[in-house]
Formats: sequence, structure tokens, C-alpha cells
Amino acid sequence: MSHDLRLERTFDAGPDVVFDAFLDPGAQRALLADGPDWIVESEVDLRVGGTWTLVWGSSRDKLFREVAVFSEVDRPSRLAYAVTATFADGRTLETEIEITFEGKDGQTNMTLVQTGFPSAAIRDDFKGDWPNFLKRLEHVVMERAAAGAA
Amino acid sequence: MVQSQVLDRTFSALSDPTRRDILDRLAAGPASISELARPIGISLPGVMKHVHILEEANLVVTEKLGRTRECRLGPEQMADATRWIERHRRQWERRLDRLETYVERRQKGVRA
Repeated sequence: MSHDLRLERTFDAGPDVVFDAFLDPGAQRALLADGPDWIVESEVDLRVGGTWTLVWGSSRDKLFREVAVFSEVDRPSRLAYAVTATFADGRTLETEIEITFEGKDGQTNMTLVQTGFPSAAIRDDFKGDWPNFLKRLEHVVMERAAAGAA
Repeated sequence: MVQSQVLDRTFSALSDPTRRDILDRLAAGPASISELARPIGISLPGVMKHVHILEEANLVVTEKLGRTRECRLGPEQMADATRWIERHRRQWERRLDRLETYVERRQKGVRA
């Protein structure tokens, strides 16, 4: 049985700003690092069949790695990918993520659905920190929207 | 931060039974947010709020591990609060010792 998580968040910016901020390698430090000395590496090949490799952690021995393979890329409204996550202790986790970016009245409603968790406990561990990520994404989006409006 | 503010935060954080349950659980070792939530029986956002308050009081530290977060007892734990309680306990002991001496003298005086 697969355990899924679903998150929604509304951003005060258009879908293109949110979509680009989510994927931009230059934004990942602001989205993922808990401190200035954190290691954050991101490489993205944004096309169907292309990969997105994300590595981050507080030190070399605590790195978390995600390798995603895109199955749908429809900028700026939809993104789907299968992701293999590897924890610092070698455990791996394979899930699938679908994200929609719906624009309306200058805002974007982002819906993220992650499926394939092997247990509710692991799903909840991820669910516990995704809101923090989305909060950071909101901050990045607001900065970019403000810079774009200036 | 001045000492009284540190103590305010510590005692305020400790005033909630759920937060004390979280500290009890973390005394046994690090735990994820969901591991803290399960035995307490409250929602993940609810646990996250309690953990945030404990984190602000330096009673708990959290570390991001990929897309999860691990919680453990803070390095200082309850040192300031313990020192404050110990100082007041010693004051009260001295007062009680003096009261005991006073009562004993009075009793001896009455018997004499």
C-alpha cells in the first residue's frame, strides 16, 4: 500500500515565477540550507527524460541526495518526476512527485502530490518538513516578484 | 538575552504537558517529528509548533536531514532553570534551618 502526501500553497506571484524558483539551481541554497556553511549542489536538465540532481546537507558525511527523472515538463503549469532519495546512512526511497501551478488573479496555487511512501511514518517524516520548504519558497518567490516589479 | 528572559522562556516552554512529553521522549534519543507526534496523538503541525517553542528556549535542537527533520535535546538543556531552582532551594533550606533552630530554642525555653 502506498502512502501519499498532498500539500497546497498559494503564492502572490505568477506561475512562471513560482515554477522557476522551485527548479532554479541558484535558489536551492535558500530553499534547502539551514546554515551558510551547508553544502548544496543542484544540476537540472529540464526536459522529459532529463534529470535533476540535488545534494544537500550540513557536512559531507550528512548529505542527502535526490535524483529525479522528469516524466512531464510543462512550464509553468505542471511538473512530474520520479525521484530516488538517498539518505546519508545509505537508505534509499523511491517516490513520484506531481506538481501543478495554477495561476489566477496574479496568484499561483501550487499543489504538490508525492506518492509511493512505503509507510505512513516515512510519509509523515517528509510531511513534517515540506511546509518549511514551501515557506522558504514563498520567501524566494516574493523576492523575485518584487525584483521583477521594480 | 538577559537571564530573566532565558528563564521566562524555559519555564514557559516547560509549562505545557505536551512539551514535557516531548522532552521525555527525546531524553531516550533523537526522534523525527512524526515519531514525536505518534505517541502523543496530536497533528504534525501541532507537534511542530511545540518543537519550535522548545527550540526557541534552547531545550531542543532540530537538524534538517534531507526533507526530514531530526529533533534532540539541546546542549544546554535545562542548565539555567536547574541553577535557578537550586539557588532558591538552598535559600528555602536555610530559612527552614533557621526556623527549626528558632522553634527548638523556644521549646527549650518553655521547658526550662
